[in-house]
Amino acid sequence: MELRPILSAMLRNKVGALLIGVQMAITLAILCNGLFIIEQRVILSHRPTGADEANVFVIPNQWVGSPPDLAARQQTDLAALRALPGVVDAFATNSYLLSNGGSSGGVFLTSDQKESSAQTAFYFADEHGLNSLGLRLVAGRNFNSDEVLDRNGNNDLTPASAAIITRALAEKLFPGKSALGQSLFTKPENNTIPIVGVVDRLQVPWVGTWSEKFNDYSIIEPFRYINPYVFYIVHTQPGQLPAVVKSAEKKLFETNRSRVLEKIVSLTDARDDAYKDDRGLAVILGVVCAALVAVTAFGIVGLTSYWVAQRRRQIGIRRALGATRNGIVRYFQTENFLIAAAGALLGIALAVSANLWMVSTFEMQRLHVSYPIIGAVVVLLLGQAAVLWPALKAASIPPALATRA
Amino acid sequence: MFNYYLGLALRSLRRNVVLTVLMIAAIGVGIGASMTMLTVFRAMGDDPIPNKSRQLFAVQIQNWEPRRGGSGGAGGSPDNLQEQISYTDAMAFMNMRAARRQTAMYATGAALTPSNPDLRPFQVHTRAAFADFFPMFSVPFLYGAPWTAADDEGRSDVVVIARDLNDKVFAGANPVGKTINLDGRDFRVVGVIDRWEPIPKFYDLNNDMYGKAEQAFVPFNRAIESQMASWGNNNCRGDVGAGWDGHLHSECVWFQFWVELPTAADAEHYRMVLNNYAAEQQRSGRFHWPPNTKLHDVREWLNYQHVVSNEVRILVVVSFSFLLVCLLNAMGLMLAKIMGRAGDIGVRRALGANRGAIFSQCLIEAAVIGFAGGLLGLALTMLGLVGLRSLLSEEVTRLTHFSLADVAIAVSISVIATILAGLYPTWRAAQVQPAWQLKAQ
Amino acid sequence: MLKMTHLSKAYRTEVVETFALRDFSIHVREGEFVAVTGPSGSGKTTFLSIAGLLEEFSGGEYQLDGANVRGLNDNQRSRLRNEKIGFIFQAFNLIPDLNVQDNVDVPLRYRGFNGAERRRRIQESLARVGLSARARHYPAELSGGQQQRVAIARALAGSPRLLLADEPTGNLDTQMARGVLDLLEELHRDGATIVMVTHDPELAIRAQREVHIVDGQVVDLAAQPRLVTAASAHP
Repeated sequence: MELRPILSAMLRNKVGALLIGVQMAITLAILCNGLFIIEQRVILSHRPTGADEANVFVIPNQWVGSPPDLAARQQTDLAALRALPGVVDAFATNSYLLSNGGSSGGVFLTSDQKESSAQTAFYFADEHGLNSLGLRLVAGRNFNSDEVLDRNGNNDLTPASAAIITRALAEKLFPGKSALGQSLFTKPENNTIPIVGVVDRLQVPWVGTWSEKFNDYSIIEPFRYINPYVFYIVHTQPGQLPAVVKSAEKKLFETNRSRVLEKIVSLTDARDDAYKDDRGLAVILGVVCAALVAVTAFGIVGLTSYWVAQRRRQIGIRRALGATRNGIVRYFQTENFLIAAAGALLGIALAVSANLWMVSTFEMQRLHVSYPIIGAVVVLLLGQAAVLWPALKAASIPPALATRA
Repeated sequence: MFNYYLGLALRSLRRNVVLTVLMIAAIGVGIGASMTMLTVFRAMGDDPIPNKSRQLFAVQIQNWEPRRGGSGGAGGSPDNLQEQISYTDAMAFMNMRAARRQTAMYATGAALTPSNPDLRPFQVHTRAAFADFFPMFSVPFLYGAPWTAADDEGRSDVVVIARDLNDKVFAGANPVGKTINLDGRDFRVVGVIDRWEPIPKFYDLNNDMYGKAEQAFVPFNRAIESQMASWGNNNCRGDVGAGWDGHLHSECVWFQFWVELPTAADAEHYRMVLNNYAAEQQRSGRFHWPPNTKLHDVREWLNYQHVVSNEVRILVVVSFSFLLVCLLNAMGLMLAKIMGRAGDIGVRRALGANRGAIFSQCLIEAAVIGFAGGLLGLALTMLGLVGLRSLLSEEVTRLTHFSLADVAIAVSISVIATILAGLYPTWRAAQVQPAWQLKAQ
Repeated sequence: MLKMTHLSKAYRTEVVETFALRDFSIHVREGEFVAVTGPSGSGKTTFLSIAGLLEEFSGGEYQLDGANVRGLNDNQRSRLRNEKIGFIFQAFNLIPDLNVQDNVDVPLRYRGFNGAERRRRIQESLARVGLSARARHYPAELSGGQQQRVAIARALAGSPRLLLADEPTGNLDTQMARGVLDLLEELHRDGATIVMVTHDPELAIRAQREVHIVDGQVVDLAAQPRLVTAASAHP
């Protein structure tokens, strides 16, 4: 294809070519970053918690006032829940997965350490905890019932007698060796805790950016959490969740009416809620990207059609001089490709700088190199597809036009 | 002449429907996207209390050792200040009495047991604060009035409830003098506040800032004495004693502190008093660092706390870039349209139209497209806001309001932007030589 | 009325300078009907462009209705064009979007007449060319001859001092051409000043006198007045 004459013809129509080129460049920049953000958010919202989410639900239980027999009431409740048909197990705890509420703190290896070795989330559980969440033990053992102590409210500093940690935390604190038999030190309780078990995965209760760095670092301490406001976690048989929710609520109120049961939520619902903004962002960005592609495509169609109309006579002359229909189509496709290529180069530069700006302003991740490359290919293809219709129209211009005055 | 050009514009747009539709659609979609995000952005960052935002200040003090770099997450803010304060400091500030009005407060809650035994107890989000809270934040009252300073001192069992709670428990009648039972304790209702939902909840950004306002308010000292647990954020550093008292007298931060300082001189004075207090703590050995305190007024506080979420910021940037693409698009299409009629323009020039006349004709056509695009954009914005409400969490989009002023703004932006986009095509049109050039075509 | 003295027009490309008009002089008095003839490329189109203030010239002097045209800016030229000159193009150049009366209206709008004045002038000119009945028709609905007559009405509506016609019958068949030329002659009889560019000697004969251009310069200056033939019926 004669590139030089195409180029020089284009340069005489600088502004139009520039408009299309810049549009494609910005489209590429937005597409790259938009799709990247979508990917990030999708990954984020699919992070596994480690629990059997489909079959676990949470009952937020708030007693009226601060009754003195909290511990007994809790045992009654848990016994009742565990006895319900369709229930695998249940326990009481201070926070639950995907709730964005809980307790976190630093964990140390020795008592004289200045800086913590890792930031972690703390979960309280009795010996029913692992089963009630459906967590998978990969080393060591579950708590024994005699290890489980009472933890009265949030200001009790009773030291924990043991700990089960997540695999990721074990890797972090004791790289290369087994965590079993090792110890942790927590400052508030001034306490050394032996590690008795390691679970495969237990996410921290928060899903936002502030906890991303320690997302998989959790510690389970053997406590019965005795507090006026507590969460009952119930694990059901597959398919039984809705029925158990109803019967659980009914049973608890039968046992004692002096309580408030907030909205009962399954972990799947909690996941939907927790990641609602991420999903929303992804959807909105998706819509914007689709609209962007449409707008740019139609713009190319419009402007190219105008060029075709402007050059009708010239095209007719070319045909009269022997150019084939395909030749005419290829002319416009080549022209578009040149513009798109220039636009793609500019677009890649824009995409990368936009991403760098977002990295510094929004604490985002850096763009993976595949994105600009795929984006450039997409934009080139988009241009070729959009120019096809006007190019075909151009090809149908009769050579007889050359003879008209 | 304006009517003439308007008529010409409408006629010309009708002639090439496809091109016109494309242009209006491009602009409409661009305006729709950017106006939607702009509305959310403004709603999130809006001044929630415009007539007093410059007089209300959040107080910060450094009561934790400055951290160097450090591993693991929470607590290392660049200015070494926490967003909340400790009990010790809150009480000290209250005793300073250096502001016109002041209140320490925290978020808590209780279970309300209705007097009707057939009804189940329900949860009531409660705020523990001092009496000054209500005049400070201009909280409107439906019935009754706030409690008094004497109630604060005396730890009275009094409560101010919200209108919704009053409707639920007392069927909306005047409940002053009646009692409600919170967590087993009777509180006497002294007032009912009217609908009050500052968005965001600037006075406590750490706990559900877009959530609903509290339904009950109790005196701070009463809540502390009853050991009503915090339902909000709690951050601790250093040694914490056991039990409620241990927690209370530790350096854990779980309180907010606000002051009302009407004039700049008042603010200066307060800053001085605050710094003296911090210096005093250093002298006494409680702090091992130089005085570090800060006052932020409402707007500064919203800024400091990054109230507008990153998601929204990203979307604002993306949507305005999208608008840019749409305008470039419109410019290209307008160029095509106008230059496609170069013949007509040449004739008009030959018949006596000067460049200014061609300019006016084309710009008015651009304005018409911009106006139509603006209307379409408005419709799409409404759609967008509805869509947003279902996509983003309720908190984020709770009060994205769209007023008549916003309608005017959207259409104006659309018209102005389209005219700007049309400047180049119009300039090209004005360059078209009078008719004779047509012969060469 | 139209007086050019030693006019020259040069076109400069990157490499070459060509003179479309060279030392060109012409004097058209009020009320004259002059035909400007010459082979293609002779410069007669350039002459008409300059005469109609559509193009600038390089050297010499041009006086239109007593006013010196050199150095006028675009606004002034546009106003002069609008007020003093009526154009009749070979390709009619009606605006297809507008109907007949709106087409005639165009120059009047730029003149600044009020609504009543414009309507009066439109009515008058359409009546003058015999197309009052077609006021609301669109150019596409008219024959070639009718379109040219609309163009003439448009040229007349502003009461111009000078009518410039470029091959006015070039796109018409013989019968329509005759009709248009009859109209031009009628206008001349009623006092109009007409300069008509044409390459057709048959047409040139119908004018009062002929100016012949070859290679940018006037050659034969035939000064004898011609007899004006009798008008025939409108097409």
